[in-house]
Amino acid sequence: MIRGERVPEKKERYQNRIELLQGTLDLLILQTLQWGPQHGYGISVAIRNRSGEILQVDTGSLYPALHRLEKQKWIKAEWKVSENKQRAKYYQLTAAGKKQLSRERTKWSQLSDAIAGVLNPEQM
Amino acid sequence: MIFWRRKTREEELDEELRAHLSMAAQTRMERGADRQEAERAARREFGNVGLVKEVTRDAWGGRWLGDLLDDARYGLRMLAKNPGFTAVAMLTLALGIGSNTAVFSLIDALLLRSLAVPAPRELVHISFGPLGTKGPLSGPMFDRLRERQSAFTDLFAWTNAPMVLTEKGAARPITGAYATGSAFPTLKLKPRLGRLLNWQDDELGGSSNGIAAVISEAFWMEHFGGDPHVLGQPITVDGGTATIVGVMPRSFNGITVDYAPQVVLPFAFDVALHGKSSCRFRADCTWFSPMARLKPSVGFAQAKADLATISGDVLRESLPSNYARVDYLRYGILSLTPGRTGNSPLGEIYGRELWTLQALVGLLMIICCANLASLELSRTLNRQHELVVRSALGAGRLRLVRQLVAESAILALAGAAAGIVLSQWLSSLLVGYIEQSDFPVFLDLRPDAATFAATIALATLTVILAGVLPALSLTRVDTEEVLRSGAQRTVARKRHPFAASLLPVQVALSLLLASLALLFATSTGKLLRMDPGFRVKGITLFDVDFARRPEKGEARLDLYRRMLEALRQASGVEAASVIAARPLGEGGMDESAAPVEGNGPETKHLFENVVGPEYFATAGTKVLAGREFSQFDRFGRTPVCILNQAAASFFFPRQNALGKHIRSTEGDAKGDGCEVIAVVADAKYLSLREPAPPTIYYPYAQLPSLNWAGFITRSHDASGAVAAFKSALRRFAPDTPLLPPITMQRQLEDSIGKERLTAALSLFFGGLALLLTSLGLYGLESQRVAQRTAEIGLRMALGAQGKDVHWLVLRETAVVFAIGVPIGLALTFAASHFIAALLYEISPLDPRIHFVAVVTLLGAGFLASSIPARRAMNVDPMVALRYE
Repeated sequence: MIRGERVPEKKERYQNRIELLQGTLDLLILQTLQWGPQHGYGISVAIRNRSGEILQVDTGSLYPALHRLEKQKWIKAEWKVSENKQRAKYYQLTAAGKKQLSRERTKWSQLSDAIAGVLNPEQM
Repeated sequence: MIFWRRKTREEELDEELRAHLSMAAQTRMERGADRQEAERAARREFGNVGLVKEVTRDAWGGRWLGDLLDDARYGLRMLAKNPGFTAVAMLTLALGIGSNTAVFSLIDALLLRSLAVPAPRELVHISFGPLGTKGPLSGPMFDRLRERQSAFTDLFAWTNAPMVLTEKGAARPITGAYATGSAFPTLKLKPRLGRLLNWQDDELGGSSNGIAAVISEAFWMEHFGGDPHVLGQPITVDGGTATIVGVMPRSFNGITVDYAPQVVLPFAFDVALHGKSSCRFRADCTWFSPMARLKPSVGFAQAKADLATISGDVLRESLPSNYARVDYLRYGILSLTPGRTGNSPLGEIYGRELWTLQALVGLLMIICCANLASLELSRTLNRQHELVVRSALGAGRLRLVRQLVAESAILALAGAAAGIVLSQWLSSLLVGYIEQSDFPVFLDLRPDAATFAATIALATLTVILAGVLPALSLTRVDTEEVLRSGAQRTVARKRHPFAASLLPVQVALSLLLASLALLFATSTGKLLRMDPGFRVKGITLFDVDFARRPEKGEARLDLYRRMLEALRQASGVEAASVIAARPLGEGGMDESAAPVEGNGPETKHLFENVVGPEYFATAGTKVLAGREFSQFDRFGRTPVCILNQAAASFFFPRQNALGKHIRSTEGDAKGDGCEVIAVVADAKYLSLREPAPPTIYYPYAQLPSLNWAGFITRSHDASGAVAAFKSALRRFAPDTPLLPPITMQRQLEDSIGKERLTAALSLFFGGLALLLTSLGLYGLESQRVAQRTAEIGLRMALGAQGKDVHWLVLRETAVVFAIGVPIGLALTFAASHFIAALLYEISPLDPRIHFVAVVTLLGAGFLASSIPARRAMNVDPMVALRYE
């Protein structure tokens, strides 16, 4: 589901952003954590950077997602001190989380193929 | 554990988000922004921290619990902030729930609770008597029925009988019962200790070990300290000895709800005691109250049909040859009634009154709920601003409603707890009314699952009525409008239609309760003040049990004579005599079927009493013609008798009854009968409510076989007479138990126990209803005056007088009454049909009663609303207007 477009003159900086599809945030988080343990802020920065500043993760979506994934035992959390001497909660993938990631990836590629097929039928 | 985890999780979330913010700010500072700028930007990017926390908590699950705790905590705080409201609301609830629980627990104990045996629904009562009555069977009837029946697994007879226990040379009354050997197997009871009675125990003469007895657990604890060696010990009861073979389980208290037997003996014990004269095998002695257990495959209707087919044969084989002359045998039939709850004589006596009271307290509960709802509502109205602000800050409507419901729930729980405490007290008060003084009532009033369920149902209902309905209507408020109006109280809000409709309902129900209370009280007052035909003040009655004295026949009469002599000579005793059936007594009524032939052909059913010399002088019953029995009316002299006016005018209309003869046609009575030596004034016999029945009195001294007559004394105070009786008993019959004496006053009060119960409680409940309604009116008008201070100030500034303002407030009360009173009157008239039977010599439509009720209600109502009205009159227009 794609959320309704924001009114441009109110929030200029949202203009170029694409809202995430429901469920894709989980995939992005799991994928991000594949490169190693990371805290919430780090995850949001990583997603933004890797998407070329296009995907901006809302904290109001990020933290519920993190806590939900933790509850589902796909990721686990640990308090560590960051490079800046800042105590932070680091999340890392569990074995179950790795399996889930591969499942989600398969699902995603199927979905994107399917959408591509619909959009460009002649290339199929 | 959850709570503890919740706390640390909360702190962790806090720290996690703080870390996020500080890292975000850090990054910005590294890029060259100054600290303040960086922090502000980080926060802007982050968004609403509270909201993020909120949605993250959602992901934890189990959130409702935390919210519930928050709601509860907040609710408690709001309740504590408003102690006046909380106190009144809790009191209202406690009164409503307490009175309902008390009455219901009594109904439960007397009428609803199953016997503590397996599958109690299979049990049925079998009774004998004229259609519609439930009398006992004779021994032979029981035996023949048991032989012929096929619908029951078995049947048993059970007879409660007070007994005398002789222990270490002292005699004392205990509660006992006789049971056939089939009783415990049919009830499917397991022993607490040892074994219970079986058929071998009921063989004549018992087994080789003598006659067996089982005792109750309470008796076991009390007398034997719970010693397991009690088995095999002898117990001496009613002059015979039995051997204890077992202890009954604690949950089983016999088959009669208000009578817990301490000792249960087989009927063989009575046969051993009385030989041939035992009631066990006499066809004319109906003594057995049988119960039976339906076979699992047989339904109640089928068993009933079965009984109908065999009852003709059973009765033909078991009725005595002369039964046609004895009314209660002639018209008797066998009938079947459900036996799940066992016997409940008290339930039969008080059932109608108790359900009436339950209806009254039910109405009271509605008033309580209405009161609570208007209290809640007016408080919520005052909190409208708060609610609106909270909803503007993002609290959902559901959340707000839940908050209000939580407060109601806290109140309901606290009220239920207080109500249960109150109900314990009320219950003991109720039992006090029901208890007859000559015998302690055993009632298990511990609130059980049913009572608790009823209480919880009531509390829940209260929550819904008082908390949720106002909440629903209030959260529909237009937020913006209220916020725009800004001030706390300027808007003269429209009166809430829901609140407005509650008060007339309260008024109507209060009027109903008040009228009923006045009716019951007047009726009971009439009963208490009526002339029963005998003295009440100063009279004391004594039962004696001379059954086991060695004196028989004339020697027994001599014992009575000596006792009487001693009583008369005792200081403080003004007069004394002998009496067999005490007036208005419960069990001692001698309703002997005694059709008597006069000089005409008519016979009439008479009430019979046996009294001593100077009885009428002692009891204060007027002798209209002739003379009292004297010491010369002895055995062997001319048989004499005395008639009351009702009997005399029946047998000898418009004639002088003195010197005439009448003869009992009952049994084998022969000869000339007795000579009427006096006619006395009518005196009440069985009950105050019924007119005095035609009565015949015989002199005790001419009936040597009589062994259960008691004594009656007249004295300045009862204690003197009791002391005199005790010393006489010690002197002449030291081994007889002292049965509790009773004053005539108490006897009379006992006999109208249910009327007094209904009157006292309905007055109490009626008073509560008035109080609650007045509180409701006071609350509403106070509220209105506070809301309309500005308007009142303006009116006064424009020239309104104090009395105009006063009227402004009272007018609303008047409107409430104008709607409520006619509804209340209509309800009372509708109810009059049901209560007419409960009243004595007063019509349920008596206009004086309703006039008084209406005036009382109006008085209380206007008094309650005149306080806020006066407050309105004292409004200073300048202050009121400036405040706004």
